[in-house]
Amino acid sequence: MSAEAEPLVTAPTPPRHPRWPLAVALALAAVLLVCGGSAAVLARLGRPFLAAPFDATASPGAPEPDPVGLRAHAVAAEKELGKVHPRGVYIVVDGYRNRLHLVENGRVIRSAVCSTGTGMVLKDPRNGKTWVFDTPVGERVVEKKVKHPVWAKPDWAFVEEGLLPPTDPNERFDDASLGDYALYIGDGYIIHGTLFKSLLGRRVTHGCVRLGDEDLEFVYRHVPIGTRVYLY
Amino acid sequence: MCRSVLASICISLATGLARAGDVPPDPARVAALELEVGLAKRPVVYMVLDPQRRILEVKARGVVLDTVPLTGIEIMSQQRLFTHDHPTNPPIPAVWTVAQGPGDTDRELVAPEKLVPAPKADEEDVEPTPPPDATPTPTPTPVPLPAASYRARLTNGWDLWITDRLPPQDRIGSFLAAVRDGWRRLRGLGEDHAPAITLAMTDEDARRIHHLMQSGLAILVAGGM
Repeated sequence: MSAEAEPLVTAPTPPRHPRWPLAVALALAAVLLVCGGSAAVLARLGRPFLAAPFDATASPGAPEPDPVGLRAHAVAAEKELGKVHPRGVYIVVDGYRNRLHLVENGRVIRSAVCSTGTGMVLKDPRNGKTWVFDTPVGERVVEKKVKHPVWAKPDWAFVEEGLLPPTDPNERFDDASLGDYALYIGDGYIIHGTLFKSLLGRRVTHGCVRLGDEDLEFVYRHVPIGTRVYLY
Repeated sequence: MCRSVLASICISLATGLARAGDVPPDPARVAALELEVGLAKRPVVYMVLDPQRRILEVKARGVVLDTVPLTGIEIMSQQRLFTHDHPTNPPIPAVWTVAQGPGDTDRELVAPEKLVPAPKADEEDVEPTPPPDATPTPTPTPVPLPAASYRARLTNGWDLWITDRLPPQDRIGSFLAAVRDGWRRLRGLGEDHAPAITLAMTDEDARRIHHLMQSGLAILVAGGM
């Protein structure tokens, strides 16, 4: 009789669970917790822009209207507004788009490309005096019309070139730069021509309004002295 | 009998129609008209903001020179999240006046370092001025493009904020904006702004009216003008 060896019975080994996913999950949770917490604190600290609708209705509190009086007021206001409306021919200058419109009885009869002020500031290094090269905004009037205008160059025209303004007034005259016609609209501002046609449509001037030759002639011939000019 | 009933119906209908045509004018509209008359009597350019029609008009003497369509009108104020402490609406109709705007301040400075004497006429004769046709085109100093988002301070204590992009108002957007602002404040870079009436428009339109936003500009605010 042979002794058979009993098979060795070993207890099953429990499966080994890797620990790294748990570690990663814990790390992620920690990061999320820190980030979320920080974000919540920062959000609490911050003051973002929040919108509320603009109430377009009239404010309450006005006295009970008297219909007859209201109607009279409305008629009077409409009449006053009608009185100040420009009549006949007027000029509109759009300083952003660099366009000049000639309007007659509410109808645009000519639109032209123009050049307007740069909006820059020039400073005189001698005394700190400054000039702002803005085309004015508002209503002006054509005060004077001149054929073959001569420009008496002001100080800024020299300072801009890095030159000292001359003491002899004769050295200031320039009969080429303004073109064939000039319409003076007050305070030294002029609607005039230009030698530099390729710069039309751009903001390059010192405040004057420059036009091409044909448009300038058309405006000069159609616009009487006293015509209103609206610049915006 | 039938005829008299018909006649009475006709009469009451006619009376009703006559009364409808006799509706007294809206007091707010009359007030706005009177305010506009006050502005139109002056030789200035002014604006009319109509929140109902969502347009901003550039006007002078009652004439519309330009119209800017608005994509939004909101009252924007800096608030902590989850608070509802919005400022009350300013009364309208009213005339708002710009106390200071970007048209006053956003300027480029040109300053030569020193000035030299102009060349004499006889010196110029050595190099005669070419005829106009041959005059070379000068290179103009490039004019910077105006901003598309800017604020103007009004005399009534409000700000007018012109922008091409309203701040995000959805939950996530607001939260992220709050976090960003909180981070800026933590670094001492936070900014506090006055409540603003915010007009949203295209970037081109915002740039177009940039130079008009300067001190003294009057803006008539009235609905249904």
